[in-house]
Amino acid sequence: MWFDRLRIERLVWSLDQQIYDLPRAQRIAVRREVRANLLEAAQDVGTTEALRRVGSSRRLAEQYLAAEFGDGPRPSWIGAIYAAGLAPLLLNFFLSEAANAYRNAVTAADPHATGTYVWSGVSGLQSAITYTFTDGAASSHGGAWTPLTYVLWLLVIVGTGRLWRLRPRRRPAVATA
Amino acid sequence: MTETHDPQLLKGVLSLLLLHLLAEHESYGYEVVQRLQAAGFADVLEGSVYPALTRLQREGRLETRLVPSSSGPARKYYRLTPAGHQALAQGTDSWARHTAAVDVVLSRPLPPASKGN
Repeated sequence: MWFDRLRIERLVWSLDQQIYDLPRAQRIAVRREVRANLLEAAQDVGTTEALRRVGSSRRLAEQYLAAEFGDGPRPSWIGAIYAAGLAPLLLNFFLSEAANAYRNAVTAADPHATGTYVWSGVSGLQSAITYTFTDGAASSHGGAWTPLTYVLWLLVIVGTGRLWRLRPRRRPAVATA
Repeated sequence: MTETHDPQLLKGVLSLLLLHLLAEHESYGYEVVQRLQAAGFADVLEGSVYPALTRLQREGRLETRLVPSSSGPARKYYRLTPAGHQALAQGTDSWARHTAAVDVVLSRPLPPASKGN
């Protein structure tokens, strides 16, 4: 019994993850309705048959999204939001690791390094980083994103969210007799 | 009646069927599916009906109310709005014209089949 309920909840959860582009209240309403209907169907025909008849969560989500936004290609706002948040985190992690590697290389060569060192940074993606070492202890400044990095970030957002689909499409001209 | 129906035909007429069933009396999603199946549409799956109900609701042809259920979560009952009744009347007329036109063509006698066939 609990396993059947788990299977139903799995489908509902999976559906929920794929309809994040719907307004929140509507997403919750869809979730509740599908769950209620599935529970009743499972009592009638068994969980396996009930799940088969409702189909895959992907297809169901697609139909709910089409019901709200219409048929045809559409952007994914949730994809764009994830890209906007996660891309800087990943990129900054990568750049930070590269900067740490440079600093570690300096202290590996001279554990008591003192002076100013300039690293040009990851080519094209960030500005130069200036390290000031005092007896092996380093402080740094610089390393900001270049305009190219911002452009790449924007492209990742547009690509992940398929935002070009927001562009109004021209209707084909109707041929006249 | 266990005959299958052309999915494309069903897709075109599903909204009209749903409007008519709900004009008879209000129902919740799973009950609508059961009524469709009892009417002979055994191959109509829940995965098509629930989003279709949502679409009709978004278009203002259906309204909903939640009714507590003793056997589980509250049920979302659908019923027609005035716009839904209007859409049903128009859809029914359109369907009648469509089937009449198709019947005219299909009722024409065919020439005898040639020997080569």
